Amino acid sequence: MTTKRYVIAALVAAVSAAAAAQQSRAEPEWAKVEEETMRHYQAVLRLDTRNPPGNEHIVAEYVKKVLDAEGIPSQIVGSDMNRPNLIARLKGNGRKRPLLVMGHSDVVTVDDAKWKFPAFSATRDGGYVYGRGTVDDKDNLTAALMTMLMLKRLNVPLDRDVIFVSESGEEGSTGVGIGYLVRDHFPEIDAEYCLAEGGGVTRIGGEVKYATVQTLEKIPRGIELVAHGISGHGSVPLKSNAIVHLAGAVARVGEWRPEIRFNETTGTYFRKLAAISPPEVAKYYRDVLSTDAKTRKAADDWLFENEPRHSSMLRTSVSPNIFAGGYRSNVIPSEAKATLDVRALPDENPAKFLEEVKRVVNDPAVDVRFTGQNERPAGPDARLDSEAFKALEAAATRVYNTTTLPTMSTGATDMAQLRSKGVQCFGIGPATDMEDGPKGFGAHSDQERLLESELHRFVRFNWDVISNLARAK
Amino acid sequence: MTRVPRSARPPVAQPFRPADGRTGSPKGLRYGRLTIVAAAALAIARLSAQHAAPDWKTIEDETLRHYQAVLRLDTSNPPGNERLVADYVKGVFDTAGIPAEIFALDANRPNVVARLKGTGAKRPLLIMGHSDVVTVDAAKWKHPPFSATREDGYVYARGTIDDKDNLTAGLMTMLLLKRQQLPLDRDVIFLVESGEEGNSNFGIQFMVAQHFAAIDAEFCFAEGGGVTRIGGAPRFATVQATEKIPRGIELVARGISGHGSVPLASNAVVHLAAAVSRIGEWRPDVKFNETTGTYFRKLAAISPPDVAAHYRDVLSSDAKARAAADDWLFDHEPQHASMLRTSVSPNIVAAGYRSNVIPSEAKATLDVRMLPEEDPAAFLAQVKQVINDPAVEARFSAQNTRPAGVVARTDSEPFKSIEAANTRIYNVPTLPTMSTFATDMAQLRARGVQCFGIGPAVDLEDGPKGFGMHSDQERLLESELHRFVRFNYEVVADLARSK
Repeated sequence: MTTKRYVIAALVAAVSAAAAAQQSRAEPEWAKVEEETMRHYQAVLRLDTRNPPGNEHIVAEYVKKVLDAEGIPSQIVGSDMNRPNLIARLKGNGRKRPLLVMGHSDVVTVDDAKWKFPAFSATRDGGYVYGRGTVDDKDNLTAALMTMLMLKRLNVPLDRDVIFVSESGEEGSTGVGIGYLVRDHFPEIDAEYCLAEGGGVTRIGGEVKYATVQTLEKIPRGIELVAHGISGHGSVPLKSNAIVHLAGAVARVGEWRPEIRFNETTGTYFRKLAAISPPEVAKYYRDVLSTDAKTRKAADDWLFENEPRHSSMLRTSVSPNIFAGGYRSNVIPSEAKATLDVRALPDENPAKFLEEVKRVVNDPAVDVRFTGQNERPAGPDARLDSEAFKALEAAATRVYNTTTLPTMSTGATDMAQLRSKGVQCFGIGPATDMEDGPKGFGAHSDQERLLESELHRFVRFNWDVISNLARAK
Repeated sequence: MTRVPRSARPPVAQPFRPADGRTGSPKGLRYGRLTIVAAAALAIARLSAQHAAPDWKTIEDETLRHYQAVLRLDTSNPPGNERLVADYVKGVFDTAGIPAEIFALDANRPNVVARLKGTGAKRPLLIMGHSDVVTVDAAKWKHPPFSATREDGYVYARGTIDDKDNLTAGLMTMLLLKRQQLPLDRDVIFLVESGEEGNSNFGIQFMVAQHFAAIDAEFCFAEGGGVTRIGGAPRFATVQATEKIPRGIELVARGISGHGSVPLASNAVVHLAAAVSRIGEWRPDVKFNETTGTYFRKLAAISPPDVAAHYRDVLSSDAKARAAADDWLFDHEPQHASMLRTSVSPNIVAAGYRSNVIPSEAKATLDVRMLPEEDPAAFLAQVKQVINDPAVEARFSAQNTRPAGVVARTDSEPFKSIEAANTRIYNVPTLPTMSTFATDMAQLRARGVQCFGIGPAVDLEDGPKGFGMHSDQERLLESELHRFVRFNYEVVADLARSK
């Protein structure tokens, strides 16, 4: 495929020397900023960028206009006219390598009938804004945009460039988004650090309890099981029945929990989590770190039953999600297939893991192989002793008065591609109520929402972190 | 329209020829003086009729003509279009003066019922042959599937052994009985039914539900048995005396839906897989009935000693010997393993739609073939016990089922007659069988008709070589078609003729 690239606006490279001289420690006028934040937030929420088909060009064009009005150089680049990405840059003095901030412009699809408020209405109700994308990811997009605008308006002198990327296709079509950018525009987005979705602040009972920063993510790898047998009439059961062989394999793999292994991120996460959790739960977080196999196993069992997300953080996880075979009730099919969703720890050796799966399947009638599925590459984790992590920790203390836990996400993000190029990435996000997810107000839900107050607090957090990391010192 | 030559007819049978299906009065009875003479003539006529056999050589031409004619009518089901065959058969009967009626739920898919009247001393005998055939993949056929090409002693076509052979033999038997003017103790009914291959609602179900009086009988003959040739020589005959009852069971596992990056203990796919695995590895208890017991005993008697040992052992009261024989059969002769029990085969699984989403539901379909004496409710309870998982529901599917019914007895008159004909014509022993699949006889058995599955001789080697039923080179030896017509006629005549 030939890559169609188009550049709507050229980068304006010059940075006003006068602006640089005008050293300012001024803080934004937050009351005014809030109005503007809400205006942009609602505007982008009202642009229907459900993916598929995406149509992210409407968000790219909106953001470009806002940046143009502010005099911030930006360009729209893409391999698909309807699905471009936006890149903006505020130049620094180059003493440090750039900082990249990202927010993706597409959203997952909606079932319109299920929405109380129309999914693209961005209705304000009871202190919340309701709409597809409110917490995934037009919150990060808006906060990054606002940060760019404020840095420019306040003429903040910078030790490093601040790059803002609004990428398309994050929800399942990274080929047009981060994949394309890393392949065809990497020099324009290359950075020392990057900030994107993937973390946040957890509120329980309306109160902030802790912040999480994603410093690492698991690598998705599909594994396919294919059983072959003799076809025949259903009135005569056959020992080689492909469905029976596959069922045995899927059952064994489904009941298998690969070995527990910690890394710097997950070890720190569970230790810190234990420190801030009620004693009866803290016990499990501590026990799972224990060197005593029995203690560890009991905690692992408890987590699998009660906190499956934590259980997945402990290991390369395997979830058999598709199982299909047969077409007529009276015909034994000759083939049956299952697909395992594997989320590998970043340090997992794929070939060795596949061997382990084969050993668990333990049936020569069942083939075990990696699927050709689009993979996100592995990369180094963001360091907890880095300047960026410290800035994030400090901002969480200042803005939320809470402790910061590094996390490894079990799902893949657009940061994977950047990490594989050596960029240290950190996942951040606004504060949401832990109760919102189970109540059906979470990301991808039919009542996706965000508290207005938390949107504004998140803009402040962004400003705090970014100005702290980039400001000339 | 080949006619039986006059010389072949019984000389004094003329006055007794049934007209319009009714027995005519012998003229001689009107004259007192001639009564004794007439009575004597009658006695001689009967005696002669019993011994006058049809002229088989001449009949073969006619058989092949009808056989090829019906094979050339494309009644692939779906859509069926069995009207083509019904019209043809009706035409043949009309010409022969045999009353025949059409019964149809769908004008394109009619059934034909022809009847030769008997004295009514005994209840009727029903012969059946279905007019539809399974579909074809025309590209795979060497000879076009509806060409009925004759080659090297075979006829090749869809339907040659399923079931236009039985249809042709039934048709010929009716024509011969009529021409032979055989006095009958019972009516002989011939039913050509549509929709056997998966749409019995147009065929046997419709006939049993709406027109049972037209086909009600003491005994019936239909497809389902045959003579097995090995190395070109007939070895044994089988008569299907009973059949298993198909009952679908559906397994539904339910769990919490979620993202594939976070495995859940409630994963519906995993629960279903474990259930299917347990069910697939389970072999329900071995249980014999009169038919299968006799079958394995007789089979042991005619089999080579190494194989016979397994047939005998599976009947053993020693659990260990029985289990070993059962294992051997499951590995080497799965058809026999299925005859020993209510069988279960998981044939469909469907779960999940995206590799990164744990689905909230997963389904599997089990193909269950129950022994006729099985208690469905008790069996379902056993299935649940084997699954042993509250997250997996097990229930009978709503699928159209065939009812259970009477078993055809091996000590019955028809069985003995079939046995005798097999000895006479094929010189082989007769084994009663229970088919593991359902046939159109199920509906009749449910109404109390004793049904027997019969068929022509085919080579055991033909199936594995790809010449069997439903295959792309379905075929029958011409010589065996003719032998089967003779077998049909002799068995039917023996059971129906006045004695």
